[in-house]
Amino acid sequence: MCVSSAAGVCSSSVEQKIYVELNETVPCVRLLNATHQIGCQSSMSGDTGVLHVLETQSDLDWILSSGPHPPYMVIMETAFFNRSVMMRMKNSSRVSGVAVIVSKTGLAQNFSPHTTCPNQNTDVYSESYGSELANCNVTVWNPLGNGLSYEDFSFPVFALKDENQTQVIRKCYEDHNQRVNGSAPHYPLCAMQLFSHMHAVTDTVTCMRRTDLQNRFSINPEVLCDPLSDFNVWTSTRPLNSSAKGHAANESVVIAAARLDGRSFFWEQAPAAEGTVSGIITLLAAIQALYPVTQEAPPPRNIFFTFFQGEAFDYIGSSKMVYDMEKNDFVIDLKNVHSILEIGQVGLHSGRSLWMHSDPVSRKNDSVNEAVSEMMNRMESAAAGLSVSVGHPSFSQPLPPSSLQRFLRAGPIPGLVLADHQKSFSNRYYESMYDDAENLNVTYPPGLTPDEQLVYETDAAKSLAEVATLVARSLYLQAGGENNSLSNITADPKTVAQLLYGFLVQKNNSWFRSLLPPEVSKKGVNSILSPGPPQFYIGLGPRIHGPVHSVTRFVQYILANLTGTVTNLTESQCQNPSELSTENKDLFSYFWVSGPASVNSTGEPFCVRASVRLSEAVSPAFELLEYGSRNYSTWTESRWKSIRARIFLVASRELEMLTLGVGVAVLLLSLLVTYFISSKAELLFSSARDTPTTAY
Amino acid sequence: MDLSSVFFIGNIMNLERIPNEEKLSLCRRYYLGGFAFLPFLWLVNVLWFFREAFLKPTYTEQLQIKSYVKKSALGLIVWVAVLTTWITIFQHFRAQWGEVGDYLSFTIPLGTA
Repeated sequence: MCVSSAAGVCSSSVEQKIYVELNETVPCVRLLNATHQIGCQSSMSGDTGVLHVLETQSDLDWILSSGPHPPYMVIMETAFFNRSVMMRMKNSSRVSGVAVIVSKTGLAQNFSPHTTCPNQNTDVYSESYGSELANCNVTVWNPLGNGLSYEDFSFPVFALKDENQTQVIRKCYEDHNQRVNGSAPHYPLCAMQLFSHMHAVTDTVTCMRRTDLQNRFSINPEVLCDPLSDFNVWTSTRPLNSSAKGHAANESVVIAAARLDGRSFFWEQAPAAEGTVSGIITLLAAIQALYPVTQEAPPPRNIFFTFFQGEAFDYIGSSKMVYDMEKNDFVIDLKNVHSILEIGQVGLHSGRSLWMHSDPVSRKNDSVNEAVSEMMNRMESAAAGLSVSVGHPSFSQPLPPSSLQRFLRAGPIPGLVLADHQKSFSNRYYESMYDDAENLNVTYPPGLTPDEQLVYETDAAKSLAEVATLVARSLYLQAGGENNSLSNITADPKTVAQLLYGFLVQKNNSWFRSLLPPEVSKKGVNSILSPGPPQFYIGLGPRIHGPVHSVTRFVQYILANLTGTVTNLTESQCQNPSELSTENKDLFSYFWVSGPASVNSTGEPFCVRASVRLSEAVSPAFELLEYGSRNYSTWTESRWKSIRARIFLVASRELEMLTLGVGVAVLLLSLLVTYFISSKAELLFSSARDTPTTAY
Repeated sequence: MDLSSVFFIGNIMNLERIPNEEKLSLCRRYYLGGFAFLPFLWLVNVLWFFREAFLKPTYTEQLQIKSYVKKSALGLIVWVAVLTTWITIFQHFRAQWGEVGDYLSFTIPLGTA
């Protein structure tokens, strides 16, 4: 009996007695590029297996060879989630799926599921440009990488993040599946079913071709995959006219760049603390420190700050911006660019020095070499008086994976990448779920309320503020500013502390709420201000995923708050500022924000005018329709119908066959009895009196 | 559908009461119709007129009916062989054919090559 509930979902009480649905599922999904597919796939009707918890080596042998009830659904303890175990699972036919327990207990010293040489196919080093430096020949940037994120698994892999849910699963396992004195457990056994059927296969070329065919010839077109896309955020110290595309006259621009995204093995999980957040916060704090001085004592050159989205996936954002610049479709073009300073991973320097990486191939040209050396000198002089020092690698080393490489592909531009590592990454959890606040040493003393934690200045905050001051002063000098204004440029550790709290611990805090629009704070479950830290995975953009990606929105509004001016426009004027003659929609953007809330009332919203803009970050391969491109990112994410998990008890195969056999026997018997009765009907059902004849 | 049309179809299915010339013309029509890429007409022809052609006592038109039934059976066997071969090849090699396979397909399964 099916009783419809208010949500329209059919819930039957028999189903609820059998299955326990697991609510919080963190799957691994399939991603495709021009030539390969990576990630995980399940069968269309889910993969079922008998639960077994993998805690010791003997458990591994039980699952892979000696257990009598294959296929198994492996509940993997954190310590066993490494390349060797996962490859053995992949090659075994006795494993129908894996659920990884995500916790800090048992976590190895390092875990990076990314490759050892990130983005090696789309960076600047190739056969024709620095071939001896290509493919990490000189320096392996991520030596601790095990490449798990880039493997193709044919069974589903889920992550168990919720402790209560893991407890439910463990209890089921202990009640039914536990081995007693080394002998096998008896049926009924606890089993789990994982659904994560992905629609796309093979590679992006195939999947986009099939999507096109579906759209043209099918009545019910099914999209199979979507390109990864979102927005870059940019701003500048002198506003740029956004309606004037191509070369901007008399503009010489210093670009300061950072990346906005990260990834991990699982879908939409990417805390990316050291990998991404350190760079974002440093650049944001540097912008806050630099902006007032550039308005009072403007340097000769414009400073263009940009945050690139999608850099983990073959430089989506930066390749798009360079492509737009080459096509004269952006507010500036490459001839306007004087130099580039990129903030890489800067969070783990703690007392040691920072390193300025440069490209040795472009420095063979004398003018570029001179410009780069001048840049380094300016940076070193800006570091004087600060507790952080800078150095440069003493040998000829290529650039680490960075957006600067995409600019170098277009032409020789002097540039530096600032990082806390001289050779390989210091980040032991690069692009993994464990690159979180703890990895950056951001911990708060116990007993603080959320508002107190928001403004508490950890050591990490203070050291990042130093780096931000260094960056801001270097940028000012690089833009041609005077030495004597330098002492006014200091990053505020309180802002850095607030940014760290908002980006690493809790995004739903009072500061973020005050600088976002009022309707964002009021929305329900799908609001960008849901509890917990933000996740930095790029996602599929606003067309598919609803509102703009949360991190892009935060950075956009934080920039508006830090660099904008308050206006006294009303809400309707803020939406349509072109009607007013004093406002210029080409030079500025207008944001209607909530304002700080006090104890007794919510804030008074007001309109902020800032020169902050979004630019599309979708790979040029999708604009040019070159889905097999080797030059641009071709990453797409597969679509799926439903992703869920449930546990239930299964009976033995013999019992199932017996039940089926009995049923078939009952059917045949009943057919036999019916035939017998119908053939002897007159004998069995004759009555004393005659039945009256009826006219037909 | 009223009772009279039910009786009419019942008579058509039951070839007992149809005159032999009509049986022959029916068999010929089904045989000729099968050439329009309709092998099922040949299948129906074979099944329906099998008893008439081979198991009934001889009558004038039976020789021609027999030949039509034999030719329909031949055409049917050819069609079955061709279709079976093509379907087997397509199901086996569609994934390897890549682009060509996709253009030949009406529905492409999701999630598998």
